[in-house]
Amino acid sequence: MTYEEVDQGTHVVLAPEGKFNLVAAPPIKARIDDLVAAGKARLVVDLHAVDFIDSSGLGALIGGLKAARQQGGDLRIAAAGDQVRAVLKLTNLDRILAPYATVEEALHGW
Amino acid sequence: MVMPPSPGRQEAEAIAHSAPEERYDRVVRLAQAIFGAPIAALNLIGNDAQFTVASVGYPKGEMPVEDSVCQATVQQDEILEVHDLREDERFAAISSVTGPPRVRFYAGVPVRGQSGQNIGALCILDLTPRTLGRQQREMLADLGALLERELSVQEEMDLAGQVQQLMLPTSAPDIAGVEVAGRVQPAREAGGDYFDWFVVDDPEGAGKRLQVALGDVMGKGLAASLIASEVRAVLRGHSRYTDVGNAVARTLTTTRHDLEANNRFSTLWVGRLDPATGALDYLDAGHGLAIIASERGYRRLYQDYLPLGAPIEDAWDKASDVLAGDELLVVVSDGVFDVLDDSFEQVEARLHTILEPGLSCRQIVDRIVDFAVSHGATDDVTALVLRRTDHERRSTDR
Repeated sequence: MTYEEVDQGTHVVLAPEGKFNLVAAPPIKARIDDLVAAGKARLVVDLHAVDFIDSSGLGALIGGLKAARQQGGDLRIAAAGDQVRAVLKLTNLDRILAPYATVEEALHGW
Repeated sequence: MVMPPSPGRQEAEAIAHSAPEERYDRVVRLAQAIFGAPIAALNLIGNDAQFTVASVGYPKGEMPVEDSVCQATVQQDEILEVHDLREDERFAAISSVTGPPRVRFYAGVPVRGQSGQNIGALCILDLTPRTLGRQQREMLADLGALLERELSVQEEMDLAGQVQQLMLPTSAPDIAGVEVAGRVQPAREAGGDYFDWFVVDDPEGAGKRLQVALGDVMGKGLAASLIASEVRAVLRGHSRYTDVGNAVARTLTTTRHDLEANNRFSTLWVGRLDPATGALDYLDAGHGLAIIASERGYRRLYQDYLPLGAPIEDAWDKASDVLAGDELLVVVSDGVFDVLDDSFEQVEARLHTILEPGLSCRQIVDRIVDFAVSHGATDDVTALVLRRTDHERRSTDR
């Protein structure tokens, strides 16, 4: 799995593609940790090109959220597809990881 | 020729009869390429046969041990190198020398198993006589060590998987009026899915209850299975003394450090049934995949709580329902839900296959798991099915 990264100064957008699973999650989680450690704790994960997420992918997002919040930032998700939304809803993780419709909407308040 | 069984040969038999491993092939391909030999193989020496479990230029399979050169290699601790097999009386008459492929050169390094005994050899064969240089012999020894490591990792993983399977309940719970079955099919040798059932005393002294649980620790494999074992055991401990809501709350308090330190979370669904009345208390920690189904339809038993380990405090109050005499309680893991496109419409469309009259809980569980596995599940797959038996099941009368 590849992902794109765009540093907008006030925030960083990560855009993974394809399956966000056991294989794809560790490198993205490691990248989020690096960004947070470097003081970039406002992150948006743009999920428009992710067609499948499993519990490992969710784990990376929750882990990233915890890391970002500990540094006074936040991790927000945008443009999630149907499968991602269904899994977030099933696990109730949408309570702490609310999906924004677009990257622009995810940026509110930043 | 049947050799007396030894730990090494028993081990070789066990590995040879387990699933073939792609990673042995990689080392064998490497050996073939490095030595430029037409044939390279990993041969395991069993009680009366040699098993070729990975090979290049030679078919996998078994042959009588008396036709094997590697059976001589396993009896020593260093490389066996034979410049020309025709000139060695031990091997001149074996079938692969006298007949096709008419091998001439052999070099093999013994490979040790967990038992400490040699279980087989990594060998290279050539159709013309040759001699290895010192560096080449070192290289062959290194490849043998690499294969030894691969074998021991695989055996460790298999054992971990067995331990996890043996921790699952197998016998019927010691309580009247219920039938229950469960099954886990891990994606790897071990995994983060588990189910459990056991009998507890109602904390208010109202009698015996059957508690069932199904959990899914994020991720797959051995690491997830360690956390799964912990959550399972801690839940068992706390469940003896309190209701399901408190039991889950205390389980989280006890396991929180280990979940957070490992950045893992676990979904968990726990139910506690009074078989006499059908009264069912339950707690759903972000699992969401429990239903009560009958020919009248289905309803989900879910709550809004997050999985254990998620960064939020929850109240963990139990909810209640009643399991009627003709109803099934079905709990599955997301490995099943994924092959149904994470859609409850698909669940509903498949319900008739598990509501057929006459099916036992065991058969229903097998139908669910086999369906998920045959539809390309990539995750661990688990199902648990429960029903009451002290009532005439009205569904069978219709």
